[in-house]
Amino acid sequence: MQVVRYKPEGLDALCRNTKFSRKELQIMYRGFKQECPTGIVNEETFKEIYAQFFPQGESSQYAHYVFSTFDRDNNGSISFEEFVVGLSVLSRGSLQEKLQWAFSLYDINNDGVISKDEMTSIITAIYDLMGRCSEPFVDENTIRDHVDRVFQKMDLNKDGFISMDEFMEACRGDASISKSLGVFDTVL
Amino acid sequence: MAAVAAWLPFARAAAIGWVPVAQQPMPPPPVNREHNRTDDLMKINVSGRRFETWRNTLEKYPDTLLGSNEKEFFYDEDAKEYFFDRDPDIFRNVLNYYRTGKLHYPKHECITAYDEELAFFGIMPDIIGDCCYEDYRDRKRENNERLLDDKDSEDGDNVPLASMREKLWRAFENPQTGTAALVFYYVTGFFIAVSVMGNVVETVPCGIVPGTFDNPSCGDRYEKVFFVVDTACVMIFSVEYLLRLYAAPDRCKYMRSIMSVIDVVAILPYYIGLFLTEENDDVSGAFVTLRVFRVFRIFKFSRHSQGLRILGYTLKSCASELGFLVFSLAMAIIIFATIMFYAEKNVENTKFTSIPAAFWYTIVTMTTLGYGDIVPNTITGKCVGGICSLSGVLVIALPVPVIVSNFSRIYHQNQRADKRKSQKKARLARIRMAKNASGAAFVARKKKEEERIRLQELGQEPEDKDDADVFELQHHHLLSCLEKTTDREFTDMDVNYNGQPTKLLGTPPLTPTMSVRSRDNKNRTTGCCARKSSRKPLKNSSDAEELNDISIRIPSSNRNSRSSLNAMSYPTSSNSRPNNIQTTAVVSMPNTSPGNMGNSQDSLHTPSTASTVSPAGGVVRISTL
Repeated sequence: MQVVRYKPEGLDALCRNTKFSRKELQIMYRGFKQECPTGIVNEETFKEIYAQFFPQGESSQYAHYVFSTFDRDNNGSISFEEFVVGLSVLSRGSLQEKLQWAFSLYDINNDGVISKDEMTSIITAIYDLMGRCSEPFVDENTIRDHVDRVFQKMDLNKDGFISMDEFMEACRGDASISKSLGVFDTVL
Repeated sequence: MAAVAAWLPFARAAAIGWVPVAQQPMPPPPVNREHNRTDDLMKINVSGRRFETWRNTLEKYPDTLLGSNEKEFFYDEDAKEYFFDRDPDIFRNVLNYYRTGKLHYPKHECITAYDEELAFFGIMPDIIGDCCYEDYRDRKRENNERLLDDKDSEDGDNVPLASMREKLWRAFENPQTGTAALVFYYVTGFFIAVSVMGNVVETVPCGIVPGTFDNPSCGDRYEKVFFVVDTACVMIFSVEYLLRLYAAPDRCKYMRSIMSVIDVVAILPYYIGLFLTEENDDVSGAFVTLRVFRVFRIFKFSRHSQGLRILGYTLKSCASELGFLVFSLAMAIIIFATIMFYAEKNVENTKFTSIPAAFWYTIVTMTTLGYGDIVPNTITGKCVGGICSLSGVLVIALPVPVIVSNFSRIYHQNQRADKRKSQKKARLARIRMAKNASGAAFVARKKKEEERIRLQELGQEPEDKDDADVFELQHHHLLSCLEKTTDREFTDMDVNYNGQPTKLLGTPPLTPTMSVRSRDNKNRTTGCCARKSSRKPLKNSSDAEELNDISIRIPSSNRNSRSSLNAMSYPTSSNSRPNNIQTTAVVSMPNTSPGNMGNSQDSLHTPSTASTVSPAGGVVRISTL
């Protein structure tokens, strides 16, 4: 097992490519490097870190999906650049970009459409984040109902798949979704 | 929390994935009042040696001295630094703990000095990293034993005794305590020696009785003398045994102890002999056998000799090694004896009459004794005999030093393994508790918010002691977004069972120290990309079901109404009067509306707090409607 040491691009270049300020990038990189001295984070570590934010639940599945969405080149690890670029899109990107990211998250096999199974997996993973100590109690029907509801809302041509356009349209039409997407910018 | 604070934006951004499938809209983000607390360098002066670190680094562990505001007591205004009059070498380790999350124990440091420094800085020694933990425990144990020994030896004179019984017991156990005890000690020792000598001498032939050709043993000749001596000894031993039995704090335990068994075995033959002398000669054979047991009196010396006790203990603890030695010897003996037997079978007048008869030869040869009373005659026999004696050297001579060194190593190892196992359980328990705590911190926070809302509704001013930092606020906001997505709520840990969990409204919120501990734990388990897989998901115990008579939240049935999603208006829009038209719009969702109302009120009055309220049971809210 070789130790990989990865050095990101310069601060200026990253500043240009993302919507973060220098200060923010500095803080982020310091934390990043503290957790992962080698400069890249692999899925294991990622899952552990994610688990700390959701101590009560089982976060590994959702973390896995997020990881694969972030890892654009699919090499099993995220470098600081990928991290920061992805984050820039997510927290400061346009509505379009955010929705695209969400779509790629749901589309597990990257075939351009979201099937019911994929949606079920994602929603199960989200419910897992809550863990057992949530009320009211979660059972299979809950998840199934939830998936059905979502599909009802988004699958406009009722073919059992949600395509990118359907997704975009459904989300744009829903005002609360658009508002909610803006909630997640983090102050550093 | 600052260690993973860099990842919090990531986690929150990833939560965008929840939004399209969320059942309810997300609560608004927390507005933090202290804008952008910049990270600044802190100077720490420890006895002249200067250390500098980021403020965030120190605040990773808020329940320690450096992480809390306790360090303000040490702030030097003139030099604008924190001054500690402590050991700078040890402080280095303390500071590294903040930086890396791992506390190391330097081997050259004195354990007590190290412990003192840790205590001063408010750090639990339990979190010493695995690399140094064993060392630390060993040193600590040695130190404690030494202290205990010292204390024991001086304690003996100082403890005031309650009763005669206790005094007696202590006199027995520790002869140094007084003259009487010492006298008793020597007297019993003398009588043991006399008794043993008597047993030995009475078998010696005393010389020819004048007038006959007999050469009887002394015991037969001077039977009366020996009988008197024996009686005296046995009386002393009986008295001693009874006294010990009386003085023992736990009689049953004492009776089971090995020393008392030896005592009993030493005096029983005499008494049995007393009763048996009247019987016929059949039994006297048995009586003679019983006399053999008198030799056990020599074991009574072990009370008088520390060395004997240690040897006994050594053998006991080394039993498995010895057992293995015996077993391997037995194997070798059987093998060689068999071969010898079959080799020498056909020799005339051979002494190797059977395999067991050959055992004797094998043992004598392997231990290189070589009595010569039984020797092989055939060539095969002689060859095998040669091999036997050579291998005997190996088989016997090798294990003995190995056993000796093994004994000490294995003995200590076993102790350590058991200790490690028990520590591991304790550690896991602590980790689990800390994880509970972090979830509990969130729930506690929610309760605090509810309290605040309630107070506001009742017209009272809430005590504004909200000093949570930015990251805590945002983390809690993230968790409440998750709640909204799944339309579920986080509850306390110990309410789970496979039915409807009940929400603990009545219990007071958990102390903030628990939430603080969670941070501690979080940083403990994050190594630098280390695979610390000690965390397990909290699949909660279905055992402890807590029955509360507090209202069970029943989910409203009309969640499917899509109108509800649209009907929500965000409270951040300026609503001067909370009791306005919003209420009509949200009547369809009685459970969530008060929450939003609470949110709006909250955000109006104290914009700094996170509107992470999710409503309690309908009880408190309805009044506002």
